[in-house]
Amino acid sequence: MTLSTPILWVFLPLLIAVISAVFYKQKLLSVLLTSLTAFTLALLATFFPEDMVLSIGPLTLVFDDSLTILGRQITITYEILPFITLLYAMTGIWVLSSSFADAPALFRSICLAITSLLTAALGVEPFLYAALFAETAVLVSVPMLSPAGQKTHRGILRYLTIQTLALPLILLAGWLLSGVETLPPDSPLVTQTILILGLGIAVWLSVFPFHSWMPMISEKANPLVTSYLFFIMPTATLIFSLNFIDRYTFLRELPNLYEGLRLVGVIMITIGGAWTAVQTNLKRAFSFTVLAETGFSLLAIGLSEGGGLTWMLALFPIRALEFWLWGFILTLIEDHTGDLDIPAVQGLARKYPILSIGLLIVQLSVAGFPLLASFPIKIAMMSATFKLDGALGGWCFIASLGLVIFTVRLLSRFVTPKDAELSQKWIFSERPYEYIPILIVILFLVISGFFPNTFFARIIDTLSAFLHLQ
Amino acid sequence: MSAFSTPAFVLIVITAMVILIFRDWRINTIALAVQYLAAFFLVTLSWPIEVAVVKLIVGWMATAAITFTFLHQKVTETQTESEASLFFRGFAGLLTILAIFVLVPTLKGNIFPELEPVILQGGLMLIGMSLMQLGTNSNPYLTIISLLSFLSGFEVIYAGLETSTLLTGLLAVVNLGLAMVGVYFITKTAEHEDNTDLEEPS
Repeated sequence: MTLSTPILWVFLPLLIAVISAVFYKQKLLSVLLTSLTAFTLALLATFFPEDMVLSIGPLTLVFDDSLTILGRQITITYEILPFITLLYAMTGIWVLSSSFADAPALFRSICLAITSLLTAALGVEPFLYAALFAETAVLVSVPMLSPAGQKTHRGILRYLTIQTLALPLILLAGWLLSGVETLPPDSPLVTQTILILGLGIAVWLSVFPFHSWMPMISEKANPLVTSYLFFIMPTATLIFSLNFIDRYTFLRELPNLYEGLRLVGVIMITIGGAWTAVQTNLKRAFSFTVLAETGFSLLAIGLSEGGGLTWMLALFPIRALEFWLWGFILTLIEDHTGDLDIPAVQGLARKYPILSIGLLIVQLSVAGFPLLASFPIKIAMMSATFKLDGALGGWCFIASLGLVIFTVRLLSRFVTPKDAELSQKWIFSERPYEYIPILIVILFLVISGFFPNTFFARIIDTLSAFLHLQ
Repeated sequence: MSAFSTPAFVLIVITAMVILIFRDWRINTIALAVQYLAAFFLVTLSWPIEVAVVKLIVGWMATAAITFTFLHQKVTETQTESEASLFFRGFAGLLTILAIFVLVPTLKGNIFPELEPVILQGGLMLIGMSLMQLGTNSNPYLTIISLLSFLSGFEVIYAGLETSTLLTGLLAVVNLGLAMVGVYFITKTAEHEDNTDLEEPS
């Protein structure tokens, strides 16, 4: 029996997403359907044989790595499977945790649909059609960011607008690229093409100044939902963007490309860090940190001549866990306090110590604090940047302190009781389903800090999908 | 079909101006439907009619979805606007038209030499006007109409550059998806207004 990998990792989850959307009011069924599908697909991607032949008892399934639709192909090769493992495993975790946190009912179905659409985007040929799949994912994401019954806020409109503006830019850049390959590098058309492509990817990745929707959405939407969006969209976009550098020699050999990426990366880290440090709302602070994290990814691509792509890929699973934990804890805190402004969480540690400590640790981990998960990678990136350009490296380090400053501010608020609660004793109010996942992930983050590459080394194999970037 | 290209362009300019200036959903949805018809005539300059008609059908379906949703909602009175704001938007639209006429020869010469000027003018007119609209309002349904208009303009230009069945299909999905998001927003806004009315003390 012959099947194809796109059927398995694109159309099957899409079908399950539709079925679970029909039963979205039956929480248990919806959680089971979506999380089991996501985890099964992640496991399959992990253990999928290289020859693409699966034998289950007497049944032998032969898989083709591409599927032709209307004259074009969706291809999911063996090389990209480690990345797909990450996408589906994390989708499973987000979906499962949504049953504990108060996420919108449609979140689970939409989550699975977005992951399958972005998987299709990674494999579609010609690859610039990926922009259309990504745009569809953006449209699908609207109901989870602005659930029924809630007023339509300006953030969602801006998100929709900015992401839709990227679509024509990417498609146009793709068309222009096919014509400029043979032109001399100093041709004005090459410069115009690079500008359009750069603008398209910048809009898509929400590079400064196209990031304005992020704090607006973050402030209004459920933190678990935004944490998923903030992980999956930039991560898939970054992998998609590598295709351009991989396929077009003139882009790879473009003078100042890597230097420019490093500069943009450090600007984003600086802006993200500075704004995070002065925020008074926990959800907004998270969104500005996401901006800085996208900056780190761009910096990593800019350092690709010195192994930066390995760092970028190695950061993905760690960042995924950190974002999930951050979103999960914020959702739980919001459930308990009703608000995520800093004054509202004053004295929180006295009543919810594990939630408070968990939030502080995950923030420090994202900031690249020593002995936590991001530290080995971020310190390597900053050292490499410092060696190339002392000023850039310096800014990178200073800006990383932004999140640390915010964490220290938060710590002081967490332990200081409100005037009305001065006599309150320290108690544990968390329920097991709240603190057990938090403790497990914190353990992962700590072990990853001490022993880098213990859990997530295989993700780096994704680089083998890019022939010219290995 | 080339005989229709100039009237189609004129229709695009008029409808884009109407959508930019007015805020009444009835006027705007009629203008959007006419705009899709005009865009269809421009697409037929690049594509065979049987493929180009897909864009017309999809556009009209999107418009119909938005129109019927409005018809099923409680009709709220359109806010009266000052003449100054209408004048401002009209003036901004005229400036956009002027900018596009200035821009087209350069773009045609340097980037799109194979495209007919009317295609480029029509497409850019839709893109420019909708960008102007997106920058001057924060109304959910106007945002969606502007985005549909923006995509329509891009499709007019892109049809002259590439023909692909899958691309046509995917763009149709995106257009209909946008219309569905519009329907969702309109319904949500109406529900919210209803709830606010209920909460208000009598």
